[in-house]
Amino acid sequence: MTVGNTTDIEKLKETLFSLMLDAEREGAVAMLLGFAHERGFQAAVNDLLEPVLQRVGEDWSRERISLAQGYVAGKIAEDVLLAAVSSHGDLRLDVKGPVVLGNVEDDYHSLGRKMVAVFLRAAGWKVVDLGNDVSPAAFVDAALEHGARVIGVSAMMLTTAENIRAVRAELDARGLSGRIRLAVGGAVFKLRPELVREVGGDGTAASAIQAPALFDRLWAGGPEGEGT
Amino acid sequence: MTSLERVLCALRGEPADRRAFTLTLSLYGARLTGCPVREYFTVPRRYLEGQREVVDLLDPDILFTPFVLPFEALAYGGEEVWLDRFAPNVRKPPFRDPDLAEPLGEGLLLDPGVGYLVEATRLLAGEFGADRPVCAVVTAPVDLPAMLLGIETWLEILLFDPERAAAFMHLSEDHFLRLTAALFDAGATFLACPVMFANLRLVTPGLLEKTILPTLARCFGLSRGPVVFHHGGNRIEDHLRHYAELPNVPGFVMDPRDSLSRAREILGPGRLILGNLSGPALVRAAPEEARVLASDILADRAGDRAFILASGHADVPFDTNPDTLLAVRRAVLDAGAVT
Repeated sequence: MTVGNTTDIEKLKETLFSLMLDAEREGAVAMLLGFAHERGFQAAVNDLLEPVLQRVGEDWSRERISLAQGYVAGKIAEDVLLAAVSSHGDLRLDVKGPVVLGNVEDDYHSLGRKMVAVFLRAAGWKVVDLGNDVSPAAFVDAALEHGARVIGVSAMMLTTAENIRAVRAELDARGLSGRIRLAVGGAVFKLRPELVREVGGDGTAASAIQAPALFDRLWAGGPEGEGT
Repeated sequence: MTSLERVLCALRGEPADRRAFTLTLSLYGARLTGCPVREYFTVPRRYLEGQREVVDLLDPDILFTPFVLPFEALAYGGEEVWLDRFAPNVRKPPFRDPDLAEPLGEGLLLDPGVGYLVEATRLLAGEFGADRPVCAVVTAPVDLPAMLLGIETWLEILLFDPERAAAFMHLSEDHFLRLTAALFDAGATFLACPVMFANLRLVTPGLLEKTILPTLARCFGLSRGPVVFHHGGNRIEDHLRHYAELPNVPGFVMDPRDSLSRAREILGPGRLILGNLSGPALVRAAPEEARVLASDILADRAGDRAFILASGHADVPFDTNPDTLLAVRRAVLDAGAVT
């Protein structure tokens, strides 16, 4: 593949976007790796992957594309990041953060959390993923251990979203609220946005692809996330 | 008119003495009888007692069998979670490894949770079914694998492993047909099937056309009775053209965010539409708010004979004020006859 000018890049972005929507994971990854081979992983991410993911995110938040298509976009990003790591290429990973992620206590619906982790890593965040069914103390202990200023807690259903209150209580009890901010997410928050405040969240994002922007804001202590 | 006659009028697009209506009050019977949720959702007789109280309070035109879809998945194993004011749920899906998933075959109906669903249906239909439709709520065959495996694993298989996806669809079809046959044998009038993985907010157009719709068409076509297509938590107004030709589907429960007028345009006159109050939102609605919400929907559908006022999304929450529910009924009575 030869990448000549801006027009070529725009065409490539269109092609990549189409491949993602058609769930053509292998074709999309091959295209990105070809680009990386020619121009480096950093350029592949900055010039192609990130802008296309941004477009996917915007379309996702407007419900123009599906969860499956967003999932495929995440898998493509994950494949490229893994290739970048194993190639010891020029991509700058783990330059932001770290942040801590996990599903709240009693919650085992990991899809959203894993997608958030992928998109955060693609945006340069170092992610400490604690997995499913994480206790409030474990969230806060991990944040303190790693120096994280944002904790991301995922819950899919109303019943488990209620358990996020205990994470807020743990932060309050240790005098950390304000110093460590709480990002919350999951399907139930899309249906009931008022829950973000009710469970003590500092912000949320409409989709996993929009999580990096939320974490940027929360890390900086800036305005809270979309949907709050 | 009996409730059954009223609902049949809506189905046929005929006049009726008043608008047929229902709210999903499966869980709510536990509140009305003061029965602990765990007992209510394990002892069929307790469920019947709860639904008697629902009838006494609200006199809805359609009654629901236990709205506990997780019991279908828990029949395969996994871990359940019980909370005081909610229906039980799947805490851990039955299968971490998709290769370990085996069809239950005839064993499905021997599972205690599934047995409870069938027996509660039998009791409900025995007492009320002669003059009031009993709607059995069942998991969509295209959604069952997500409950057995978790959403991520099912999505991964659907997208990237068509052979394994076909095997899970086969398991789901067998499950759906066995369970629904038992529910119809027990006296269910029709099924309501919330369908999530047939929505382009979840799946790709390719998956919908090649995998999802053919599975639904096979299952619904072989169902022993009618299947009402329930929105499953997503808007479906813009998807109706995909579902309109599914066999054995007389009606659609619309999402509370859907436009009923637009749905009617797409489906044409005479096709049954149900909706579109949000059941979960009623917990936050004062009685007057609920009355206005219901009245607005009824006014929008005033000239539409093939419409039933119904709640969508999930069950009406335990903590909902009974006066809020009665306000919905008042709106129905105030709206008068369907001419």
